[in-house]
Amino acid sequence: MSEKENHFRKIVAGLRTDDELNPLHREQLRRQMMAAFEQACAVGDAQSDVAGAGVKPAPVRSIRVAWLAVAAAILIIAGVGAWMWLGSSRSPSGLERVRLAAESEPWMLAVATRYANGQSSTERHWCNFADKQTYVLTDDETVVAYDYGRGQVKLAYSPKIKTLVVSELPRTGPFGAESAYNFVASFAVFAARADAVLEESSVEHEGRTVWAYAIDANAPAYSIDGRPVARLRMTVLADPRTRRIVAANVEHQGTRGNVLAREEWAMSYPASGPASVYDLGVPRTARVFDTRQNYRGTPGDWSASLTPPPASGGFRLEPLQIELPRAKFSGTPQDGRTPNLERPRGGPRPPFLAPAGTVNLARGKPVSSSDPEPIAGSLDLITDGDKEAVEGGVVELGPRPQFITIDLQESCEIYAVVLWHHHRWPRSYHEVVVQVSDDRSFKRGVRTIFNNDADNTLGLGAGRDLTYTETYEGKLIDAKSVHGRYVRCYSNGNSHDELNHYTEVEVYGRPLKSIKSN
Amino acid sequence: MVAIMAKPVEQTVYDDLVILAKSQASALGRLYELYYDRIFRFCVHRLFNRSAAEDVTSSVFLTVARTMRQFKGRTEQDFRSWLYTIAANQANAHIRKTLRRQRLMKNMVAARMEDSPEQGAWSSLDWPTLYAAVGQLKPEHQTLLTLRFFENMDYDEIARIVKARPATVRVTLHRILRRLEDVLRGDLGGDE
Repeated sequence: MSEKENHFRKIVAGLRTDDELNPLHREQLRRQMMAAFEQACAVGDAQSDVAGAGVKPAPVRSIRVAWLAVAAAILIIAGVGAWMWLGSSRSPSGLERVRLAAESEPWMLAVATRYANGQSSTERHWCNFADKQTYVLTDDETVVAYDYGRGQVKLAYSPKIKTLVVSELPRTGPFGAESAYNFVASFAVFAARADAVLEESSVEHEGRTVWAYAIDANAPAYSIDGRPVARLRMTVLADPRTRRIVAANVEHQGTRGNVLAREEWAMSYPASGPASVYDLGVPRTARVFDTRQNYRGTPGDWSASLTPPPASGGFRLEPLQIELPRAKFSGTPQDGRTPNLERPRGGPRPPFLAPAGTVNLARGKPVSSSDPEPIAGSLDLITDGDKEAVEGGVVELGPRPQFITIDLQESCEIYAVVLWHHHRWPRSYHEVVVQVSDDRSFKRGVRTIFNNDADNTLGLGAGRDLTYTETYEGKLIDAKSVHGRYVRCYSNGNSHDELNHYTEVEVYGRPLKSIKSN
Repeated sequence: MVAIMAKPVEQTVYDDLVILAKSQASALGRLYELYYDRIFRFCVHRLFNRSAAEDVTSSVFLTVARTMRQFKGRTEQDFRSWLYTIAANQANAHIRKTLRRQRLMKNMVAARMEDSPEQGAWSSLDWPTLYAAVGQLKPEHQTLLTLRFFENMDYDEIARIVKARPATVRVTLHRILRRLEDVLRGDLGGDE
């Protein structure tokens, strides 16, 4: 401290000021402050309730058929085209059998989760091999259908303009003339590039050994967020037992080898799929704009131009009705100390579409845990339907890694898991992993549907999902139609303390028995 | 040893209180009890007027009540810095709104200097004289003086409140004191 400062401090210390407290003012201000706080809370809760009830219109994103659909096409190609092309040139017997195995199924559902700029988005692709049709549903409810069989038509529905645009399939594309959306041909063109490098190996995937095909090649001309993609790395995984594709991942690399975006794909083979875009949530009253005939009008007038959508054959997607609890805080404050944290969405969660007849299978089902004696609450609270973040409604498990297991009591097809740890505060829970299996001990047939354990602390494999902040909406995990009887959720403390909490876990799906009987 | 151990425990309790205060009125009430005295005295030292200090103190805590839910800090130190930032801004706003008061202060100091022109700048000061001289400085500089000499904060904490580097705060305070000395010697032009 300088001499001048010392001197000034002494002067100030010797001065007397009239700073005697006024108890009356103190008490009056206290009352005013409490009233202002209660009012602020009430307004915040009301806004949250309105948002939660869906009254506030969700921000509508522009139609998004752009590059992700193209990338999606590449992956589907990776599922079919790889074996067609590679099978004929490198390993005819094995790969050809894999291709045939995939194509022998009526439907392939490929769910793609894309990660870029700290955010994730999801697309679902249903491929009908027999009719050579693909239906794409994005998480902003955009629907795109490609009929590269008899119809040779592309349909795109934008929820923003509530219009179904019908057009011809593009004749040129990033992978060569007349190959843009012909998946098999375009992948063959891509994989046949002189610079493409293919590596075959066996790798461990979700506790089992699978075949892996890694393909590395210069990317076609496209960009992500204005940054050019220089190279594309894909890895396609196939199950040796069924010879079908089970997963894939794609990295879009920039000019300096940096990853601009990555996608993780999970493939399943459902018994049925959409018969028309109307099965994917497109309103039957949506306007139609047929660019081929320059027709604008209603679906009724237009029906002569296209076969009317047939009655749904047991497949129709509907928004999941998820009852939300009251919000305990507004916004999603960001915890700067937690790495790899998902950025807030900035609005209510978009509806999640699942086949009609989907219900919460977990309601009232038995729950077991690695911590058989919770610090607070009892395990049955996790499936009792009460999601409010109130004292007495939350189960508190001990420190260190803990898990809970829900027994659905029969094998089911699972579309989504919604998880509420403790949403009273904006905490993030560490090492969140969600797995599904038909094996009670989770030793065989384990499918991991969410994993943000980036450094493999739990020893279940390193996950690449993002850490997220707890909110009243819970964490909706796309289960990608996996089959299983048991659902297990892991965590390892949270950003506030070392304890693990569960308010509610919902598992949305359908019993396999009911699907087969349809 | 007990004293050494006690501090972190107390710190953790207050940190928890800050987090709870975002959703619980009772926790916010406890923070109010902890900080009412300090903020009121800070306002008195900035405004030298009890009535004005009470008004500004009210304004500060009502702002806290309305915006506590959006407060992103997680520790007591975060809360304290945020609180003093609000208080400093409110006090400065109050000063800017009361230009007439500043003019009166300036005249008062001029009259005092004329009465005793031979005295040194730092000798025989009383509160009105000092405050009137401080009143000639920029509001931001007045805030720095108050935080440093009346709230006895260190440079790091002041830097957090005024959102500047500690070294900048140190240099600025040195210049402020020199300027204040000039003002007290009779150069009443102020630095605005």
